[in-house]
Amino acid sequence: MIVIAPSSELTPDQIARFIHSLGLELNVKETCYGANIEGPRDIVRKALSEVRKLDPNRIFSKIRAFPIGDERRCRAHHGSRPGFNQVEKEWRDLSMIDVALCAADLGEICELPPRPKQLPVKRLKEIADEVSK
Amino acid sequence: MKVFMIPPNSLILYDLVERFGHQPLSLMGELRDHVVEPEVESPPLNLSQDDIMRGLKYAGIEVPSGIRGRLAIWGPMVDEAEAAIIMHDMPYTFGCVGCHRTNLMLTYMVRRKGIPTLEVHYPHDDNEAKVMVSKIKAFLEGL
Repeated sequence: MIVIAPSSELTPDQIARFIHSLGLELNVKETCYGANIEGPRDIVRKALSEVRKLDPNRIFSKIRAFPIGDERRCRAHHGSRPGFNQVEKEWRDLSMIDVALCAADLGEICELPPRPKQLPVKRLKEIADEVSK
Repeated sequence: MKVFMIPPNSLILYDLVERFGHQPLSLMGELRDHVVEPEVESPPLNLSQDDIMRGLKYAGIEVPSGIRGRLAIWGPMVDEAEAAIIMHDMPYTFGCVGCHRTNLMLTYMVRRKGIPTLEVHYPHDDNEAKVMVSKIKAFLEGL
């Protein structure tokens, strides 16, 4: 399952056409978020590495449990789609991961600012006294 | 190395683990082997009778069947794992990863196994994402 980040300028159609142009023995299906590819493991890996070169930090992938066009999941056959909400949420956030991957490539050291210190009990008492006056 | 991830169906974690040169142990990969077998006919029944019995290794009979059913699939993946990444506070806690008790049990199993484990939080902005990715990168490169 190939997913294009929202920040990418590539379209699912371009990805699908590119995979077809590789001439590999794969089953390809264009989807709204990218493309699904299916075939022998080594050929899928080869295709994936070629596709990634188009936009390395904005093309993501994961394995999909159900085969392409499986009647139990495929919308054309009124299949249920219980996992889509999660993919949709993660897809929206891929732009952040893209920024982070670019920063990692540049060797940027990223650390969150330290958490604010806890309020001492003495100060809390003072605040309580001020408010209760 | 085989890296287990929580949530086990995360697109972001799966991609990062594979991108940095390791083998992700994912729920989708595991279920792929199940759903192409003739024993499993249709969702939501993604398990067979044998899977439920296998789940007894990870959760007792008095544990709700939903937890046992999930652990029947996820438990063997934890057994197989050589490292793990746990992502806390994921915003999508419904569907197959929606059972909080299973998630707690799974986190406990991973911690108890004593394998190298990284715990991160789901990012909400670019800075948090940078921190998460840099931690994951350093962790995976150091394995």
